[in-house]
Amino acid sequence: MSAPAAGRYVGQAIQRKEDPRLLTGHGRYVDDIVVPRMLHAAFVRSDLPSARITAIDVSAALGLEGVSAVFTGADLNPGAGTMQPSMMAENPAAVVAPLTPLAADDVRFVGDPVAIVIAESRALAEDAAELVVVDYEPRDAVASMEAALADGAPLVHPELGGNVASDLALPEDPELEAIFASAAHVVTERLVQHRHTPTPMETRGVVASFDPVTDQLEVWLSTQGPHEARRTFARVSGLPEGHVHVRMGDVGGGFGQKFFTPREEQTVVLAAKRLGAPVKWIEDRRENLLAANHARSDVATVSLALDADGHVLAAKLDHLEEAGAWPVGGTGGVGPFVAMLFPGPYRIPRIWWRSRVVWTNTAGRGAYRGPWMFESVAREQMLDVAARATGIDPLELRRRNVVGDDEQPYTMATGMTFSATTSATTLEHAARVIGYDDFRAEQARARAEGRLLGLGIGLYIEPTSTPAATLGVEAATVRVESGGGVTVFLGTAAHGQSIETTMAQVVAEHLGVAYEDVRVVQGDTDRTPFGGGTGGSRTAVIAGNASREAALKVREMVVGVAAHLLEAAPEDLEVHDGVVSVRGTPVRNVSLAAVAAAVHNAGTGLPPDVPRLLEATGRYQTSSPTWSNACHICTVEVDRITGQVEILRYVVSEDCGRMLNPMVVEGQVHGGVVQGIGGVLYEHFVYDEAGNPLTTTFLDYLLPTAAESPRIEIDHVVTDGPNPEGVKGMGEGGAIGSVPAVVNAVADALAQVGATVTEQPITPVRVVEALEAVGA
Amino acid sequence: MKAAPFDHHAPETVAEAAALLAEFGDEAKVLAGGQSLLPLLSLRLTRFEHLVDVHRVVELHGITRTDDALRIGAATLQAEAEHDAVVAGAVPLLARALPHIGHFQIRNRGTVGGSLAHADPASELPTVALTLGATFEAASVRGTREIAADDFFTGTWSTALAEDEILVGTRFPVWAGRTGYGFAEVARRHGDFALAGVAAAVALDADDRITRVAVGMLGVGATPVRVGAAEAALVGTVPDGAALAEAARAGMAALDPADDLHATAAYRRRVGAHLMETALGAAIEEARRG
Ligand SMILES: Cc1cc2nc3c(=O)[nH]c(=O)nc-3n(C[C@H](O)[C@H](O)[C@H](O)COP(=O)(O)OP(=O)(O)OC[C@H]3O[C@@H](n4cnc5c(N)ncnc54)[C@H](O)[C@@H]3O)c2cc1C
Repeated sequence: MSAPAAGRYVGQAIQRKEDPRLLTGHGRYVDDIVVPRMLHAAFVRSDLPSARITAIDVSAALGLEGVSAVFTGADLNPGAGTMQPSMMAENPAAVVAPLTPLAADDVRFVGDPVAIVIAESRALAEDAAELVVVDYEPRDAVASMEAALADGAPLVHPELGGNVASDLALPEDPELEAIFASAAHVVTERLVQHRHTPTPMETRGVVASFDPVTDQLEVWLSTQGPHEARRTFARVSGLPEGHVHVRMGDVGGGFGQKFFTPREEQTVVLAAKRLGAPVKWIEDRRENLLAANHARSDVATVSLALDADGHVLAAKLDHLEEAGAWPVGGTGGVGPFVAMLFPGPYRIPRIWWRSRVVWTNTAGRGAYRGPWMFESVAREQMLDVAARATGIDPLELRRRNVVGDDEQPYTMATGMTFSATTSATTLEHAARVIGYDDFRAEQARARAEGRLLGLGIGLYIEPTSTPAATLGVEAATVRVESGGGVTVFLGTAAHGQSIETTMAQVVAEHLGVAYEDVRVVQGDTDRTPFGGGTGGSRTAVIAGNASREAALKVREMVVGVAAHLLEAAPEDLEVHDGVVSVRGTPVRNVSLAAVAAAVHNAGTGLPPDVPRLLEATGRYQTSSPTWSNACHICTVEVDRITGQVEILRYVVSEDCGRMLNPMVVEGQVHGGVVQGIGGVLYEHFVYDEAGNPLTTTFLDYLLPTAAESPRIEIDHVVTDGPNPEGVKGMGEGGAIGSVPAVVNAVADALAQVGATVTEQPITPVRVVEALEAVGA
Repeated sequence: MKAAPFDHHAPETVAEAAALLAEFGDEAKVLAGGQSLLPLLSLRLTRFEHLVDVHRVVELHGITRTDDALRIGAATLQAEAEHDAVVAGAVPLLARALPHIGHFQIRNRGTVGGSLAHADPASELPTVALTLGATFEAASVRGTREIAADDFFTGTWSTALAEDEILVGTRFPVWAGRTGYGFAEVARRHGDFALAGVAAAVALDADDRITRVAVGMLGVGATPVRVGAAEAALVGTVPDGAALAEAARAGMAALDPADDLHATAAYRRRVGAHLMETALGAAIEEARRG
């Protein structure tokens, strides 16, 4: 396997175009938008998990000076279009909860918006929101999947007749049962991944302004997808798409929470339209924790059958996914993806699965960096369980089962086919970098001193750029401006992915101009081509190849014009850093600026058949996912008294194809890994049994900070991705591999004294309880 | 998360501040560094029509040392006290406890008096004050008075200060002789409030016998607590490791920690006993060297 060479720009750790403004505090976010006559919104939210609304009295709130309007469901719900994202709205078979702009008859989780107050300032709007009196008749709620599935459980959505949103399963498989009955080893565990929430640093926010004269809606939004937002706003408001203009500035993170266009943003748009005045809503942290989409919350009972040598023969997966009350997008039903991807990079010849999605009276589930990643959590934990049961070292067990780099394309027992991945290679690299055998010796020495060290492996493959609905295509327009500068128009929506940098690198490389001369424009539905949004690890592959194609087309146009100006044959010309010259005779050259000037001025002597245009659109379409892969290994020490976990070393060996910018790749890995660590050890959104949220501030919802972040050592395995640019998606991976690596490391440490943990988060209390349970 | 409306008052003397508190009664509250009060106001968990900001009251700032006491003005920043050589020399326990308060950004704003008056049971400074038997100086339009640490912390987030009283300063006793100090705590993350913590001070005679010992804990009750049982087990002895462990066990047994979101009572007992052993061990070790 020979690594593809880096280009002049592509593959270089070039400094980011975004950084000067972001690092000096000059980013422009939605809260920086100020529109004349702008008003401010605050929501009145339910403080009960389930209740009938018997009356809403807004008179006191309306009486407060400076309050413009208080809208309830009775005002905004009638006539509102569907609030579902395009992929659900356009799929008649989709099971969706009956979402309306505001809760009208009843509330279904703590945080359900009941009214929207619009006033001269946010503080005033909050004052008025306190004066809105809502009378409730409380009902019993179900705050966990267990409660929701119990006989006679109260229904979250009475209209839907049950608390199970979907229940998919393969038919019973007697042959698989026979394999289990005769296998040398069978292991079964119940695994729990708890609820957490994406917590972008910038909360959600929107400014909406409607002009009733032109019927034009202007929206500024903190989003991962302005084009999807535009379609959503058009549907909910009934305006034609052409009358909706969505813009975004800098966005301080999304992690999936801003991929679709959430309910509150749509409600603000409806309120602004009705009021005919611009309205700003900036979500506060409490609202973000309480009511923006949550993530994870999966439970599975998993069994593996293995032969005497540790080869996996078959698997069973019974998976429950919690949807909450109002899941966002298709992600309230990632369950089947969890099942389909469960085999991951291993040969698991036979599988049975069942996947249920359960409604509860809690905040809705939504996308979060690697939405289906529970497959890796469940599989990698089970491999370690199997390793302990068979007495085979966990690294060795993985070696025996991993699909070799040269055994692909490989079709999993679930029907998913992957190709061009290097799991076996990254497994070996990561083991080498961490010093696997040396660590095992150190672990034994520490154990003799009474200390508990552990090592965990997380090996996964990731389907990136999955072409669901509008997500398989992306366009890029490249234009040489009249002075020779280059502008790239993309439908992407960067919120931390360095797209201005990486796509400029691609265009500079293939057009033959200096990186400094390329500017990337995104986040404006009036200026950029349609794009599915930034998420799903799809930008490098889809937008990257579209940008490449557009740049090559424009290069051909440039060369065509230059050929006339230089009186040379196009095939003899080369383009470098903005200069077109005759190969071998560099003194015969013309600058891109001169080419642009010639094209834009009549009377420059160009023959009439030369197209007077230096602009082209490239489109890239993918019909199947692009697979990337990585192996995470971390080592930990578990404090036997306090139960605290310290990460000693953290190694990632990853293959994301050709790296557009290694610094950006590493930044994405770092962020993802820290999120995974946070998820396993710190973050936990807690509801009590009655459905009251207990972690609605950062005092109680614990995010990892710099102090909790280990140094992350990264090894790059560079292979050619299956597309012209040779790239593979990688934005989500860090958050996928880290979870099983950390969980397994703690479990490995505890296993030395016979203690087990199968449930996350792994808090100090849980560790201590596990130790005490075995008298350790 | 915007506070309900309030008037901001910025007096420059204790007398002016006291007059404002007297005038507005239960509608007024002292604002110091705001690191505890502002989040409560923003979440509208509490509300006051009038905030009396004591930042500009010069009398409330400063650190002074006498022979047997260290006095810290209430509005002195936690960061100032943390980095002050006089504090470290006179009351080493304070210097050890201060870095455990939140993050440096918090200590750059938070005041010593604010932490004491806020009286969070998981806070470091109230525990140090209680452990060492500090004296609190309070002022109001009615005059000034002193409150002993034993009487000061009356409950979670409540103190013996009356509504119209300002905490002016706190005097921490300076221990003489062969003394040593230990501070240890466990928190979920760096900078979090402690799940449990211990402050310990000992004085030894020439034969290493403990002549005086004070042990206090945070995070294990409704207020900071003195661990009398551990003190009683140790005073007059030359404890070895086993005796320390036993004293810690006995000390913990007399306490009644609670469950909360981040730790169970059982966890606090286990970790608390361990921290007590650690802090006492460090204190004795230091005193023996001295
Ligand atoms: C992220 C974060 C982490 C933190 N972690 C810790 C921690 O680990 N340990 C810890 O101990 N604290 C912690 N704190 C709290 C911090 O120490 C506060 O600074 C302190 O509790 C209050 O001090 P302040 O000066 O900010 O007071 P303020 O917030 O202004 O006031 C707090 C209370 O004290 C009263 N008050 C203040 N000064 C006086 C006075 N002179 N007379 C009478 N009443 C007065 C106020 O009226 C109010 O009721 C943390 C805070 C934050 C935001």
